[in-house]
Order: sequence, then structure tokens, then C-alpha cells
Amino acid sequence: MNLKISALEFVQEVKNGNISAEDFVAKTLERIQSVDDKLHAFLSVNEEAVVKAREIDKKVKSGDKVGACFGMPISIKDNMCIKDSKTTCASKMLENFVAPYDATVITKLKEQDAIFIGKVNLDEFAMGLTTEFSAFGPSKNPWNTDYVPGGSSGGSAVSVSSFECITSLGSDTGGSVRNPASFCSIVGYKPTYGLISRYGLISYSNSIEQIGPLTRTVKDTAFMLNIISGLDVNDNTTRDNKNEDYLSEIDSGIDGKKIGIIQEMVGDGIDPAVLSATKDAIAKLESLGAVCEEVSLDMVKYSVAAYYTITATEAGSNLARYDNLRYGYDFSVEGYEFNSYISKARKNFGPEVIRRMIIGGFVPSAGQAGKYFLKAMKVKSKLTKEVDEVFKKYDLLIAPTVPILPFKIGEKIDDPVSLFQIDINTVTANLTGKPAISVPFVISNGLPIGIQLLADTMQDKLLLQAAYALEQTVTLPEVPI
Amino acid sequence: MTKIGLEIHCQLTNLESKLFCSCKANYRDFKINENICPICMGLPGTLPRLNQEAVKKATIIAMALNCTTPDKIAFFRKNYFYPDLPKNFQITQLNIYGDTSIGGTGSIMVGEKKINITRIQLEEDPGRLIYEGSSSKNLITLVDYNRAGTPLVEIVTEPDFEGPKQVRDFVNILSDLLENLGVSDPGLDGAMRIDANVSIEGGKKVEIKNIGSFHDLEKAIHFEITRQESLHSRDISIIQETRHWDDKRKITVSSRSKEEDLDYRYFLEGDIPWVRIDPKTKAELKLKMPESISTKKERYVSKFNITPQVATVLSSDKFYSDLFEKSHTESNAKEIANIITTDLMGLVDTREKREESKITGTHLKDLADSIQSGKISRISAKNALYEIVKTGKDLSKVILELDLGNVSDESTILKIIQEVISDEPQAVEQAKSNPQTINYLVGKVMQKTKGKADPKLTLDLLKKQIG
Amino acid sequence: MVTEEEIEHVAKLMRIEIDDHKEFVDKVHAMIDYFDVLDSAGVESEEISMHEIPISDLRDDKFIPFNEKLIDTLNNYKGTYIRAPKMST
Ligand SMILES: [Zn+2]
Repeated sequence: MNLKISALEFVQEVKNGNISAEDFVAKTLERIQSVDDKLHAFLSVNEEAVVKAREIDKKVKSGDKVGACFGMPISIKDNMCIKDSKTTCASKMLENFVAPYDATVITKLKEQDAIFIGKVNLDEFAMGLTTEFSAFGPSKNPWNTDYVPGGSSGGSAVSVSSFECITSLGSDTGGSVRNPASFCSIVGYKPTYGLISRYGLISYSNSIEQIGPLTRTVKDTAFMLNIISGLDVNDNTTRDNKNEDYLSEIDSGIDGKKIGIIQEMVGDGIDPAVLSATKDAIAKLESLGAVCEEVSLDMVKYSVAAYYTITATEAGSNLARYDNLRYGYDFSVEGYEFNSYISKARKNFGPEVIRRMIIGGFVPSAGQAGKYFLKAMKVKSKLTKEVDEVFKKYDLLIAPTVPILPFKIGEKIDDPVSLFQIDINTVTANLTGKPAISVPFVISNGLPIGIQLLADTMQDKLLLQAAYALEQTVTLPEVPI
Repeated sequence: MTKIGLEIHCQLTNLESKLFCSCKANYRDFKINENICPICMGLPGTLPRLNQEAVKKATIIAMALNCTTPDKIAFFRKNYFYPDLPKNFQITQLNIYGDTSIGGTGSIMVGEKKINITRIQLEEDPGRLIYEGSSSKNLITLVDYNRAGTPLVEIVTEPDFEGPKQVRDFVNILSDLLENLGVSDPGLDGAMRIDANVSIEGGKKVEIKNIGSFHDLEKAIHFEITRQESLHSRDISIIQETRHWDDKRKITVSSRSKEEDLDYRYFLEGDIPWVRIDPKTKAELKLKMPESISTKKERYVSKFNITPQVATVLSSDKFYSDLFEKSHTESNAKEIANIITTDLMGLVDTREKREESKITGTHLKDLADSIQSGKISRISAKNALYEIVKTGKDLSKVILELDLGNVSDESTILKIIQEVISDEPQAVEQAKSNPQTINYLVGKVMQKTKGKADPKLTLDLLKKQIG
Repeated sequence: MVTEEEIEHVAKLMRIEIDDHKEFVDKVHAMIDYFDVLDSAGVESEEISMHEIPISDLRDDKFIPFNEKLIDTLNNYKGTYIRAPKMST
């Protein structure tokens, strides 16, 4: 059984009866068994998966209508709710939380006969970019297990890149899908804000984050988008994409398209290997007929500070509900006064979450909001204007996904400010609501480098066409795990 | 000069569902924590789903209070920790980035006094805390979230009130207005809750919270003014603080939670986009707005020649005016107004009695028509009304069952008149010389017929008999 | 420059007890100091706005009860209430 096939290949094979979903799922579970000790992508594995797959095989055999996924095994970042199963956010606070409802993306995937093979690791409450801040231990990069896989959707990226599932859903608040996709050499997608319902995604910074697929091919991302995108009554921020088919015309090419190279993302602090990869990517796009020119986005310099100010503020509020009264872990209220009880209960958050919540209490507070929070919101507004302006002249923007190569586990964990800088290329898409994708481009000294493309609001289809064109220009080695 | 400002919280009890989820807006008939869902419990991953009708109803309130209505509304988070708040923040409104609250400045007249409205905001009600246990030492705090997420409109006034009486008049007017708009039933327990800001000349503003009833509102303000004046007379400065109304001891008590510890960190609620309320929608809402109490009153007076006093009672009470609107015709309007304000009011003087009463507009119409056509007397009508309110039976049936129909058979009435004439020789003589006193004899006939003799016929026959 | 007292005050406001004091304060300090860069962004005149939707996009006012007894799945007190600690009023 070849576990390395793409989602589209899998669907075709099961449809044609060449493979059974049950066999594939069983083999996938074996794969998880054999490699996940080393990688730690999974927080929980769905033991029912084989039974579900068997049901789908039955439907295929009897000629019943089968959903578009045909039993494809998918991993889900553990900050999305699947009814009656644990959703921990990789936090001790939610170690025992069992969701009483399905996230909208889960409902949609269930309708299309996807199989949830397990819940995967993340930085606690998605706050981080290395997956080291998981309360249940870090995930490892399959290209070199001494290295971080990126984050916060590290578990998603690891599980897809090391064939523990075919695709995964992650969430991207400031690069949390694209960053680990880049570090693990797979495709990671952050859609236009509002393209995918966030209902059932446990909020970290709700005004800018999106669920996004992590896949091994651009086509698989388009396939996933076709299933999970669109208007949702449960999320007032969703947009109507009129059932856009992202797969059709994906091979339209980029001849004649104008691409802006974001100067602020290829300057100071960039690793030479990343810079040269970016130049190669630009050359390849030009050879396909694209016109690439340098563009400048002044506000990018301030984007990371604005990003952390806004996300901390929203996180401080979003995570306030974890007071351990209605759900949570075992800790009796007996003998405590309210404030002292919840202050003790909330010690179960990890150190990074606590740091960000304290920042989130500080920057929007009465005395400080003018200096920090309001300015951050205004940077967000101005950055959006700048980007909108650029998209009047250009179809797409390009920059490396991450300015540096994957680094060793533990190397930067004690220096939060140096971690900030790593987000510089990804947060712009979140602050402006624009779609962005990381396409695996090269392996440099055994470590992956991804290239990022951005498009204008609701130009997700165009973005995928460009990403597909870029993807076709490279052949990458297989992951060494 | 004493200055009082109010913050009135009014639930939109007439809505079907809560502000952000599909649980029931009127939570009162549910068992504990059985009117909850993942959204109003703020479970991880849930998002608010704004209720369109709540936005419309709140806009109508703003319009009725002559407030400006913005082109778009925004929601904000008010962050603080309390067990009755499932998310530990409340979704509410503010005017930080322009006028984005559901209502802007407005005003309402209370007698000759104009009370200015600062702002109206749409927000979610928290759950309810219940303290269980015998002594304060072993009290247990319990939470019922059935109320959490109930749509609430907060009306903030300027400190324009000069005394408790004005406040009471305002609250009565406002309460009638909200009921008349069909947006709320302010009489429901907890549907309307009021905080008051009180300050006297030279003193700081004191906020009084936790005032349980309209009745206590006046008392609390009165107490607070007296307390502040007493401090002032002793040269003790009045500090800015929040006090709670203690409804057992009937005093205000300083809240120990320090204000400086509260920092609500207001910021935009990203889960709800800004909602455009376009001119067309506003015009439609205005068109659908029920007639205001004052226009209604004027119409009653001018069109039906109803006295201003009766018209005031009739128009300001939705229960009565709805009955009136459903039953009156040009010719019986005055009669119906009288039945309602003299007889019906006594029968349904409590909320419970109103809810149980079976009276409909048809009943009232039949009653008035029957009185006017002489089918029944006013006294019988009153008896019939009592029965109708209790049972809801048709008037014709009630008349039959209780034998209330007027006696209009000449020979029967004549027989009784003969009896009265022989019983009351003195009165008969008097009537001969002074026709005005004949009513006494009519009354005697009525007594004997238990009020059922056709009064007009009786009078005519009596006159003839006496000559 | 943010003071240690300010950070402690905010920790209290956010209802989190901190153990690892020194290290903790230093890190938060460094993070907040980094945000000073916002001062030079020159964005004072910018306006804050958000995505807009028409009122007609909002949910209809319908009562639809949640399809299961949610309280049973939560930390309940005798099957009905949620229990909270003592309040300090
Ligand atoms: Zn609900």
C-alpha cells in the first residue's frame, strides 16, 4: 500500500476499487504506530477510523452515493471541535474537554466521508511557531528530528509530510499553517479572511485567524477548499464564494501576471539560502511568463509589533472563559473565594500563554491603549491600505514564507523577541485578511525552504493557479523518515 | 442642585430567541440550566450569531425615544471576570469609533421636563447567581445560565432628573412606551432593571446598583440623597463610588470592589462584522412602529369624545388599548372606554388576573352594543363582564345562563310598577309635584327586577301611571 | 518603560498567579518594550474600520432548542446548577 499518494489519487483509487479505504486507513494507523514515537505529531488517534472506512468501502461496493473524500484519512489540529471527542488545544486547561458539537469544517468533511484519523499537536492555544509550547511536548521535524517543525500547526505539518495522513487542517493566525508547511516541505494555505467558517475553531485571535489546509500538493489544497469553504450561518464573518471550484482551471498558468516582490521581506535578517531560493523562484515564475518587480510596503516594519499587540489583546479576552467553573480539570471550588480560585486554576496555562495574556491585559488597558492597542489597530488599517494599493497594480505578491531555515528544538525558546522576527513575512496576510500560500521549493542542506505567494481578497483561485505553476517547476526529495 | 441620571436595562422579552443564539429569549419557564446551548455557554470555539430582529427592535426603541440611529452598528467586548458571564466578557456597544451604538442622543418629555438620552446600546444579559446555605459563612454560589444571552437594551440618560418623583414618572412613561412598542413586557420579573447615578451640589457622583424594583428605585434615590446631604452638612466630602442597594435594610452600601481594579479593556468584537442599517430598513421600521401613546390619547379624545382622564388610562396601558382597538366602532367607543376604565380595571388589577382573564374584544363589543340597544342594563353588564373574564363564554350564553336579559315586556313591568306604587305612596306624591324624583321609583323597580327592567321603558310606563 | 509593579498588577487583573517571578517579568518586559516601535509608525490619523454586512444577512429570530441536555456534559452541581466559589462582596 502506497501511503504517499495525494488526496486526488486516493479518491480515484478508492472510487475505482483499486484500493479499499479500510486497508489504507489501517496502514495509515500502522504508520502512525511506527513513526509517531519519534515525531509526536498526534495527541490522540481515532480508534474508530477503520470501522468508518469499512462503512465507506461498503457504500462504494454497493454503488451508494459516496462523499468526495471516499474515506480519506485527515488529521485535525487539536483546536477544532469534533463532537464527543477531546479537544485540548495542547493545554492542561482543556486536557479533559470533550466538545459537545462539531466545528463547521468537521461537519462538511463528515458529509463528504472524510475520516478523522486523529487530533494533532500545536503550540498551546496556537500561540507559537515551533510547537515547542505544547503542554504535551514538542513535535519533531521529520527532515531532522532535532529540529522544530514550525508552528503552531506543527502536528498537522508533520503528520502530512511524514505520511501519517493525506491532508490536515490547521489554523493560521500569523503564519501558523504556512510556517510549519514551509519547515516541513508541504503546501500550507491561509485563505481570505472569512472564506472558511471558524465555528468550532477555538479562538486565539479571532479577528485575523483562519482555518487552512496542509497538503502535499497544491491540487489537494484546492480539493480541500472546495469542501470546506463558503458562507456559514454559524459564523457571521464568513463570505459568500458562490461555491467556487478551486480545482477547475488550476493549470491556467501565470503568463502575463504581474508579481510584486516585497522588499521588506527579503532584506535584513534573511538567511542567504532563503534569499537565493526566493531569487530562484522569481526566475522560474518569470520563465513562465510572469512579470516580477520590487514593491515596498512601509508598514511591514511595524507589522509584527502590531500583530502581537492585537493577538495578545484578543487572546487575553478569548481565553478569559477558561476559569474552570463550567468545564476544565479537576479542582474543587470548595473553600476558595472566586478571584483566588480562578487565579489558581488558571496557573494551568503554560508560560507562553500566560505571558501573552498578561501582555493582552496590558496593551489595551485604560492607561496604555493609546500607546499600544490603538496604534496597532491603526497600523493594521494602514498596512491594509498599502496592500490594497499594491494589488491595484499587481496580481500577486511574493516573499519567502519564513526568513530563516528550521532551527533546533530549544534553540530560541528562551528568547521570545527573537521568535517575533520569524513571523515578519507571514503576519501581513493575517492583518490584511489576504489569502497566502506556502509552496515547498527547495531542500537546503537537508532543511526545507518554502516560498510564499499572496493575492488580493477573494482571489484565492488565482493564488492557487500561481502556486500550482510554481509547484510544477520543482522536484523535491522525499522526506527521510 | 441634585442631579440624577439613570441606566435602564430592559430585556427584549417579546423576541423568540436570545441575542446570539437560538435559545429562548424568555427564559422564565425553564428548569435550571435547561435553556442553554454551546453558544450562550461560551463553550470553546463557539461564535455569536446576531439576531436580526433584536437589532430591529432596539432600533425601534431608539426611534421612539427620538434618538439618532447610526448607519452601521458595532459591537465591543467589555472584559471582566464574574461567574454569571460564561465568556468572562460581555458583548455590548460603545461609541469609540464614531457613533456605532444602536441609538445616539435623544430625549423624552416627562411632564414639562425634558429628559435627555445619552445613548442606547444592545447587549447580552448575564446569567443569574443564586446563594444557597443557611449562614453567610457557608453560603454556596450557584449559577443558572438560562438568562445568559437574553437580548438587553441599555438606555443611558443624562443626569437631568432633579428628584425621585421625576424618576418615577419617567420610569412609568418609559415602561408604558416599551410595552406599547411591543418590544418588551416590563412587568415581567427582572425584565427592567435600573441603576441610578446620584450627586448633590458640590459632591461627586455615586452609582447605585442592584435596585430590585421600581418601588425600591425611588426609595434608594431618596435614601442616597439624604445620605449625601447629611455628609455634606457635616463637611464630609462625598467620594465617587459604587454602592449597592440593600433591599432588606433599605439602605445603600458601599461596594467593596475597588473601582481602580476594574479595567474593562473595551475593544472591537471581531466575531461580529459591522452591521449596516440602511435608510430603507429604517424607513420600514418607522412605518411599522405602533402609534405612540400620546398620539393615541389625542385620537381617543378628538375622535370619540372620550374624556382626557379616561383616554390617558386607556392609551398608556397596552392591555386596555389593545382591547379597545379590537372592539370599538364609531358609535360604541365611548361605552367601551367606560366599561374598560370603570368595570374591567377592577377585575384585572394584577398581572396574574390579566393573564388568566378570558376577555376578548368581541366580548366588549357585544357588551357595549347590548347596553346601547337596551338588551341588558349597565348593572347586568357588569355582572356579565365578571363572568366573561372568568370563563370566556359568549355574552349571549352568559345572559341566558345568569338570566341577565332586560325585561322589556310591558305587562311584566307594569305589574311591578303597580307593586311599587302601592308600597311607596309618599314617593309617588312627591314625584307628582317634582318630576325629578321619579328616578327613585325607577330605582325601586330596578331593585325588584334585579336591574333587569328596561330602564327607558320603565320610566315611560311610570310617568304614564303617575300621570 | 514598563515597571515590574505594572506587570504584577496586570497579572492580577488577568487572574493569573505567577510563580517564576524574575524570569517571567523580564520576558514580558522585553516583549512589551519591543512594541515601542509602534511609536514611530506615524499612524495617528488612521481610522479603524471593519468588514461590514447588511442587516438582512443576520439570523432570523427563531427559537431552536439545543438538541441535548448540555448541563449533563458540564461540571454540574447536583445535575442542575454550575457551582462557583464564594463571592467576596
Ligand atoms: Zn443558547
